[in-house]
Amino acid sequence: MDSNLYGVMAEFDTPTAVVDAANKVRLAGYTKTDAFSPFPLHEIDEALGIRRSILPFLVFCGGVIGMLSGFALQIFIHYIDYPLNIGGRPYLSWPSFIPPAYELTILFGGFTAVFGMLFLNGLPRPYHPVFNVPRFALASREKFFLLIEAADDKYNYDETTSFMRSLGPQEVFDVPE
Amino acid sequence: MADTGNFQAPADLNRWRTIALGVGGVALIIWAIGTYLNPEQGLRSWLLGFVLFGGIGLGCLGVLLLGYLTGGAWAVATRRAAEAGSRTLPVIFVLFLPLAFGIKRLYEWTHIPATEHIMQHRGWFMTPESWILRSAVYFILFGVMVFLLNKWGREQDKTNNYEDAEKFLGRATAFSGPAMVFYSLLVTFASVDWVMTLDPHYFSTIWGLLFVAGWALSAFCFLVAVLAFLSDKAPMDRVLGRRHFHDLGKLILALVMIWAYFNFSQFLIIWSGNIPEETVWFQARMYHGWGYVAWALILFHFAAPFLVLLLQDLKRRAKTLAKVAVFILVMRWLDMLWLISPTPRISTHGATLGFIDSFSWMDIVAPIAVGGIWLWYFSTQLMKRPLVPVMDPFLEKAIEHGHGH
Repeated sequence: MDSNLYGVMAEFDTPTAVVDAANKVRLAGYTKTDAFSPFPLHEIDEALGIRRSILPFLVFCGGVIGMLSGFALQIFIHYIDYPLNIGGRPYLSWPSFIPPAYELTILFGGFTAVFGMLFLNGLPRPYHPVFNVPRFALASREKFFLLIEAADDKYNYDETTSFMRSLGPQEVFDVPE
Repeated sequence: MADTGNFQAPADLNRWRTIALGVGGVALIIWAIGTYLNPEQGLRSWLLGFVLFGGIGLGCLGVLLLGYLTGGAWAVATRRAAEAGSRTLPVIFVLFLPLAFGIKRLYEWTHIPATEHIMQHRGWFMTPESWILRSAVYFILFGVMVFLLNKWGREQDKTNNYEDAEKFLGRATAFSGPAMVFYSLLVTFASVDWVMTLDPHYFSTIWGLLFVAGWALSAFCFLVAVLAFLSDKAPMDRVLGRRHFHDLGKLILALVMIWAYFNFSQFLIIWSGNIPEETVWFQARMYHGWGYVAWALILFHFAAPFLVLLLQDLKRRAKTLAKVAVFILVMRWLDMLWLISPTPRISTHGATLGFIDSFSWMDIVAPIAVGGIWLWYFSTQLMKRPLVPVMDPFLEKAIEHGHGH
């Protein structure tokens, strides 16, 4: 047994097989797991027990912060720092502040969505051990992969490998660190 | 393929149909007495009900066109209900008749002499005769769209092979593109004639879009309420899934935002321009009690539904989403009240009134009368045909989509 293993990975032929296997992996108590598929598999989230992302909540907060900064910026400029009479309107013309505040809501919300997604995914990540398995390249074409990390509490090389074999995969690989 | 068994509406719809007609009938009698005593207020309240429920019916036609144009599971799931909504056009026409007959008691401009500056350049366009003629043309053109789409829908249900079914779907889709353009133009003209001319001095180029979006919002809210009612009964419990409601909830959210966007655009331009002939329209709607209604609209027609509809779980629960939808429909009533009630009146010689003076009990009774009659006719139409397009090539896919993740 190699002490420098990142985890154990199994290859499956069909999406149903990988979802079934993922269900069994979750029921066996593994938590540090991942699945790889050439196309989105909505069922896999539930099968692996992946909780819903907090990203929507972050985007909402980003949007609210954007809106508040939009108003704050304009109130500071037009009301506090440099009050200027524009067409006889009051300095605190909040209706006209709405379009820029709205734009900043979208901007901050959009930035939070993109950068929050990258951050929560741990991207950018130039190196990932799963690519040490040559056949893993097929994950972007026609094969489905299921991974149990060595960092998992329940992980034990012999047990985990034989457990993976019992799930009926095409093949089981060691994933070197 | 999907189960093409019996997709008729459940029988207990019949009970609701009778209740709707009963409530509508009683309200109609009360309204008639009130209108006898105060014709102008009675007709204004009737217009409110007409724009609200006629708007749902015509909005259903728009939703139908949109559904054919964009496709999608929600379009297949809502199609037959939206068709039933569009087939209420005859009753919408009947409900329109009091307005046509009472035009001289409802619209202040029918009393303004043609020599007045505001009427001078409008000429024949702003005469009761041409107003009624135009309304007739709207109903005829809406009628052509309703007739053709419903004809193709019925013929599609009767086919026994997918080639023919696809042919009818293709025909309706090809028709929907140009029809959508005409539909938007018709709604623009109709809403200007029926509602905006109440105040002959006001003009707004976004008015038509406010009604295109507003009626589509009404129609989606109404369809969600109807589908949620059907969702736990046979046969629709086999069809509707949580994702159908999720998609419809997203569409309602989008239309709530568009409603706010259009309304705010109109407000901001007039507020920034600050020209007396335009601001007077908002002045009547921002002071003397109407300002509270305006704030209520901002908070409960936009902010509250917007925040609540951001929640994914809520949109997926049919009954909860239906509650939000019905709440928005009540807000649609308030929005129409805010548009119609503060306009100048004949009885006040063109002056506008504050909220307390202009709000009448008939503003509640007339929409109930119109709504009861309309709902009765809608239920009748809904029970006439299968609730889903049984032969549609995308039916199976659409049902599957609703039960996915």
